[in-house]
Amino acid sequence: MNMATLVGVLIVVLLPLLPWVFISGSYHKRPGAKRRAGELLRAVLTAEQYVQLIWQGYIDIPSPSDPERIYRVPRSPGQVQVREKGQLTQWLCLQPFDWVPDADLVVIHKLMIEADEETYLQKANSITPIAVSLFNGPV
Amino acid sequence: MGMLRIISKRGDERLRWNGQDALAGDVEALAAIREAERIFARERARGATAFRVEPGKPVERLEQFDAQVSQIVMVPRVVGG
Repeated sequence: MNMATLVGVLIVVLLPLLPWVFISGSYHKRPGAKRRAGELLRAVLTAEQYVQLIWQGYIDIPSPSDPERIYRVPRSPGQVQVREKGQLTQWLCLQPFDWVPDADLVVIHKLMIEADEETYLQKANSITPIAVSLFNGPV
Repeated sequence: MGMLRIISKRGDERLRWNGQDALAGDVEALAAIREAERIFARERARGATAFRVEPGKPVERLEQFDAQVSQIVMVPRVVGG
């Protein structure tokens, strides 16, 4: 079975599970909002990102400006990891002014990183892990 | 068909229009486009950012409403956490 077939099979198997993944956490709170957010997420992510999100709980978004950098965006609300050459170099924290469903947070990170990375980095608060600071000095 | 999706606490709110009908002068289609344009401007004024999201194409930031885009997603104002 080649990679394309495997991805195809995974999508067919996992597609019906997506609404459950995003609704199950707090179904009783704004279920319609969470359902619509899950639909938007499915429309915006690539097939590969979608499979990665289901299986690994995050998506890796390549930096448009630096081929050695990726942004690791978690499925649940939390900090985004910046990884360079596979190593964690920073955590980023960015959120909408008003509450939005969890799935919409993933969409927001993806769109901003892919289409407006500079603004994304300007607006996000960054935290450098202690180990990185010790080896590299102040960032 | 075009669609404007606005991310909010209610999930995404959607507004659709038919670009081909509008080009043919259909009154309802033209009204739908005008409404989408109005909402686009209102959300931009509130600090939202608009993105062109179309299958098979890179995501692009959109500064002005474009009725020819098949899907526009508006992200609300964000702040560092």
